[in-house]
Amino acid sequence: MVDVVHEDIQLLAVIQRLNIPLGFKEKTVKEICEQHEVDLLFFLQLCNSYHDKEYLPADQFHEFPVEWIIKYLRNAHRCYIDYRIPAIERQIVMLENDNQDNGQNMELLLNFFREYIREFSGHIDREEKDVFPYILSLDKSLQQQDVLQEYVDHFDDYSIDKYLEDHNLIEEKLFDLKNILLKYLPPPVDDCKYNNLLFDLFRLESDLMDHADLEEKVLFPRVRNMENEMKHLQNRS
Amino acid sequence: MIRILFADQSYIVRKGFTSLLEHFNEVETVVTVANKEECSEKIQALAPHLVLINTSFFTNTELNAFKAKLSDTTHILYLFNSVLPDESPANQLSIFESKASLIDKIHQVIQKINTAKDNSESEELSPREKLILKNVALGHTNKEIGEILFISSHTVISHRKNITRKLGIKTVSGLTVYAILNNLIQMEDIS
Repeated sequence: MVDVVHEDIQLLAVIQRLNIPLGFKEKTVKEICEQHEVDLLFFLQLCNSYHDKEYLPADQFHEFPVEWIIKYLRNAHRCYIDYRIPAIERQIVMLENDNQDNGQNMELLLNFFREYIREFSGHIDREEKDVFPYILSLDKSLQQQDVLQEYVDHFDDYSIDKYLEDHNLIEEKLFDLKNILLKYLPPPVDDCKYNNLLFDLFRLESDLMDHADLEEKVLFPRVRNMENEMKHLQNRS
Repeated sequence: MIRILFADQSYIVRKGFTSLLEHFNEVETVVTVANKEECSEKIQALAPHLVLINTSFFTNTELNAFKAKLSDTTHILYLFNSVLPDESPANQLSIFESKASLIDKIHQVIQKINTAKDNSESEELSPREKLILKNVALGHTNKEIGEILFISSHTVISHRKNITRKLGIKTVSGLTVYAILNNLIQMEDIS
């Protein structure tokens, strides 16, 4: 298992989101997965798709229970909201304090980023409160081959495509922020902090892209299939 | 250096054309796509100078929608899965064409692109674009900007595409930050 992390340190994020603790000793990937009750194939597919941006075998992911994917996505959300985003915000505040001459610019940037955080949290909130429960309830109904009351009560007229309409725009602001920092802000006093901020932003962006890919290319198409099955089920009963 | 997008369902044709295109020194990257999803996904990040597209790849309506996403300066070559008549236009290629003839047609279009690029190499905003940007930052819609500057909202959109391409900033709030940093507007103007 330790070789995996040596090969690509970014995979540490995947490991953490599957709730696998460090302290691998000499154990193999298989042993660690068994120990922490993570499906080996699921782990491998996640790692591979995270490591290689071109690789995302939607068919293979369709074999896994949706709960697994949702649990993984939820853990990733936690990591963004609790840690990554606040860390970036702190760095911008710090730069604002350092650069009194440029104070106004930094304040501008901070406002821009806060606006982004608001949108981003709203987006995650909607997924956590509506989309994921909807998918889980849909899944449960299908598994029991019965239209469950909780599904009818909460989600009867819901559909994944309704939600998708506003799913895409979230990355654009991050993209803008990078370019503003790289191209247009007057050079800062402390290059080190500034570069660190940029590294974090690039990393967050690449991470979010993977995250969105998993949602848009794996989870949501699958939900569309499930919705069709559900229609059959409802027609039958 | 020129960026090319090549859209064709056939694996063999994609490989073949990529190897042909990579012979040209002027070509920076060739990105191939095999289906529509991939195509719409790659098109924005790449911003290609040249698009080579198999005529069976899109339906007519899809092709028009696709063209609307390209910048005005992007050249398009059409690849046919059939033999072409003798006097077909220079923007049509066939998979049955000889190497020499293919190279000739691609060479011509690359030269056109390069000449055009020399003329508009500057990535600085033009005064007109600055004016548009200022109005965007002030929160006006395309329609309003068109009315203020006496141009059609279609022209405004085309200016905005160029602004976004030059600056690498897509969102209105990002553009507003840029406008303030560069003193196009003052902080007090927006509230």
